[in-house]
Amino acid sequence: MATRNKDIQQKTEELITVEESKAPAQQPLAIPTDNPVAYPLELPQGEARLRTPAVGQRARRPDGRLHGLGQTQYIDDITFPHMLHAKILRSKYPHARIVSIDTSEAEKMPGVMATLTGAEIPENSFGPTYQDQPVLAYPIARHCGDGVAAVAATSEQLATEALEKIKVEYEPLPAVFDPLEALEKDSPKVHGGDTNIYTSKVIKKGDVEKALKESEHVFHRQFRTQMVEHVPLEPHASIASWDGNGRVTLWTSLGRITLGREDLSRTLKMPQSKIRLIGTVVGGNFGGKNEITTEPVLALLSKKSRRPVKLVFTRGDEFISSTIRHPFVMDYTTGVNNDGKILARKIRLVLDGGSYCSWTGTTIGKGSILAPGPYDIENILVEAFAVYTNKTTTGAMRGFGAPQVCFAYESQMDDIAHKLGLDPLEIRLRNGFSENSLSPTSQTLQSVALKESLAQAAERFGWKERQS
Amino acid sequence: MKKRGRGMACMWYPIGFTVAANPSAATVKVNTDGTATLLTGTVETGQGALTVLGQIAAETLGLATDDVHVVSGDTDVTPMDTGAIASRTTYVTGNAIVRAAEKAREILFESTAPLLNVKPDQLEARDRQIQVLGFPSKSISIADAVQHSESIVGNPAIGSATYNPPTVEMDPETGQGKPFNTYVYATQIADVEVDDETGEVEILKIVAVHDCGTPINPMLVEGQIQGGISMGVGFALQEEILFEEGRQINPNLTNYIMPTSLDMPELDVGLVDNYDPTGPFGAKGAGEPTAVPTAAAIMNAIHDAVGVRITTLPATAERVLGAIMEKQQLEQAAG
Amino acid sequence: MLVELKVNGEPRSANVSPETTLLKMLREYLNLTGAKLGCDVGDCGTCTVIVDGVSVNSCLMLAARANGREVTTIEGLANSDELHPLQEKFEEHGALQCGFCGPGMLISAMNLLDKNPDPTVFEVRDALSGNLCRCTGYTKIIEAVIDAGRVMNTEQANS
Repeated sequence: MATRNKDIQQKTEELITVEESKAPAQQPLAIPTDNPVAYPLELPQGEARLRTPAVGQRARRPDGRLHGLGQTQYIDDITFPHMLHAKILRSKYPHARIVSIDTSEAEKMPGVMATLTGAEIPENSFGPTYQDQPVLAYPIARHCGDGVAAVAATSEQLATEALEKIKVEYEPLPAVFDPLEALEKDSPKVHGGDTNIYTSKVIKKGDVEKALKESEHVFHRQFRTQMVEHVPLEPHASIASWDGNGRVTLWTSLGRITLGREDLSRTLKMPQSKIRLIGTVVGGNFGGKNEITTEPVLALLSKKSRRPVKLVFTRGDEFISSTIRHPFVMDYTTGVNNDGKILARKIRLVLDGGSYCSWTGTTIGKGSILAPGPYDIENILVEAFAVYTNKTTTGAMRGFGAPQVCFAYESQMDDIAHKLGLDPLEIRLRNGFSENSLSPTSQTLQSVALKESLAQAAERFGWKERQS
Repeated sequence: MKKRGRGMACMWYPIGFTVAANPSAATVKVNTDGTATLLTGTVETGQGALTVLGQIAAETLGLATDDVHVVSGDTDVTPMDTGAIASRTTYVTGNAIVRAAEKAREILFESTAPLLNVKPDQLEARDRQIQVLGFPSKSISIADAVQHSESIVGNPAIGSATYNPPTVEMDPETGQGKPFNTYVYATQIADVEVDDETGEVEILKIVAVHDCGTPINPMLVEGQIQGGISMGVGFALQEEILFEEGRQINPNLTNYIMPTSLDMPELDVGLVDNYDPTGPFGAKGAGEPTAVPTAAAIMNAIHDAVGVRITTLPATAERVLGAIMEKQQLEQAAG
Repeated sequence: MLVELKVNGEPRSANVSPETTLLKMLREYLNLTGAKLGCDVGDCGTCTVIVDGVSVNSCLMLAARANGREVTTIEGLANSDELHPLQEKFEEHGALQCGFCGPGMLISAMNLLDKNPDPTVFEVRDALSGNLCRCTGYTKIIEAVIDAGRVMNTEQANS
């Protein structure tokens, strides 16, 4: 034992002596004299947090302290040793068959550690209602934001350059962009089949045609809303990493980690117990971060490269490949009496349902139920359709169709008031829900505070004092 | 010439998913010093959910907000949650937390009742004490209660529970049913000035009165209303993704116009006094309803100011001016 | 290339490639992740820092151009005992929600109050117009800035 140790010691000394000649020149290290990241530790956070009862207190947010100090760790603020950066190549055409993808040139680049295409995804489909959305499009790309291939490289710059080396051969297909066009029989079909309508809803109460005929006035108008995006200040971001037990962890800006874990289990064909999702503080969601986007891609790139892989959307990615609000085309026909009482309302809603279903099921459901407005109406017909178009995926966005239909029903309310010479406040109080009113689906409504909100808002504003 | 106008819009909005189950689960643990930990599977998206949920747990346990530490967002540690979506967090996750905290509290009542010579159902948790209903001076601190329960009786104060809003399926032909367990209501009124030579709309003020049931944290509800209105203003007047042959032509913040601090008017925000017995301490929700009526109120104000009905959003200066000119031409033709 | 500068009063340096922005240098080389990347083209303001007394979009400034200059980031506002009055007031008013715009917003606000200690509401709106916020509608942020200005004036008067 002693002899062997002496042997190793001697060999080490020889090695050091030889290597000394290669030693770098000594440079004195600058010793920091100030604390670059000073912050107080024990400052109280306001009295409201210390009071009982807790409900109703204007309590400060502990995360507010961290935000103000710049200490909040969003995903992009997190780094891991050996971490790679990923980028996604998006479809050149709004509708195309992918004939071939050649990633070989990208793979040859030094610093490029892994590539991925749709064909390699174990289960290339997901979606909260219909699983019609691919993780990476293959063999059909359905909008210009559809991801087609991905790379992971040692820097963001390299990853971006590598994308340019990926050769994709496309066969462009006829595309449809206008939702009313997409309704037509001979329009290009985004998901094949003989119709672009992928979900519809009907709400029917009473006899709307009879009531319209009996109305003293009938108002008709078409309203349209536009495509808007959530614009969270924090772009989507995720990091994936595996351990030696084959367990993958994802740090993600995803707002729904339970669902996210299920989706990863499905797309990667792995048990949920081997998947961990960590959601830190999200820098704004508004509905756009409620489903997986790149997480399975990052998990697979990380698996291939055996290194953590991070992807942060550029602002451009946010717009073209994360979800947006459904544009609505809304036809409202309303029958009223001379005193402004609404007798019947007939509504047709056409939702521009984008390239994939995403949260359209919820949007069309809520939109249809809310469409007649918060008013006592006995005769209602709502018919709603969502159609596929070759544009950005429409998904969940703050309100799920409510801002769109409210724009329509409240605009028409004022049109009616104006025509009949009624005060806009008066006509709403006349028709508005009260406690135990019946909703369009015949639900008895409780804890109703509509008229209270109208009266209080009018008073706060000084409505009665202002003449039109 | 600048013309002044006012417009109102009211709305209703549901809490939770449409018919479909959207449960939340929660776990509450009380520590031997009377502080507590809440585990929730939701993720903080900026709205202040973790603070509000902590307040709900604190209230149920008789603690102050600061006594409760909230842990969230880790599928290895926190229980399932359908997520911060559909304005459901305060109501659904909140109700799950009340039930979980009640279970933990019940363990403390069971353990301390013999010490106070009363039955467990004679006890309440308030002001950091377990005390007898109607005779609060007979009490034991929550800290002591937990210590006794855990170290003497052998029952740690922990509770887990779930909640899902009860709904009734909608008939496939008529849609009749009970898709949500509760709804919120609101009215917003906009005061605008429209330049009838350029079509530019300036919002001078917006008044908003919202129902959220009991406001668990009024400061945070105000923040949601103010933020929702800013999204509504953008939706009404500025924001639009423009396409050309399926390609977005303005996928950037230079050309996608959204409200800056200069675009936002003075906001006057109020809450209706309301209590929903089905919600945690009477609360309902606030996240999305705030962005719903704003555009309608602004469009009605524009109509009041210059007599034109904008039927396509956004009401850019171009669109408003176009509508004004069309109206003038019609009037000239008729007159 | 070696870039040497002062950050929050302390000499710092890093070896960066020529196209590295000041934002990247702060976040990736100096581990100061307070300034954020929201758009990388100067539209959103989440990257705002102060360079030689001027508030700039650090994503538009090459690190090389900051050589020899003094930079203040969000990490430099508080000290070991106290928050900056702006940080205190933002917290008290609940001015930040998701917080992502926070560092940039606070820096712009500080830059305003250092030059104009008693701004009008319009002046505050104007000074913050380069910092986008999607969560708050700006209302509580503006209230907090005005309130902080009052506190800073009182402190000045008392000192």
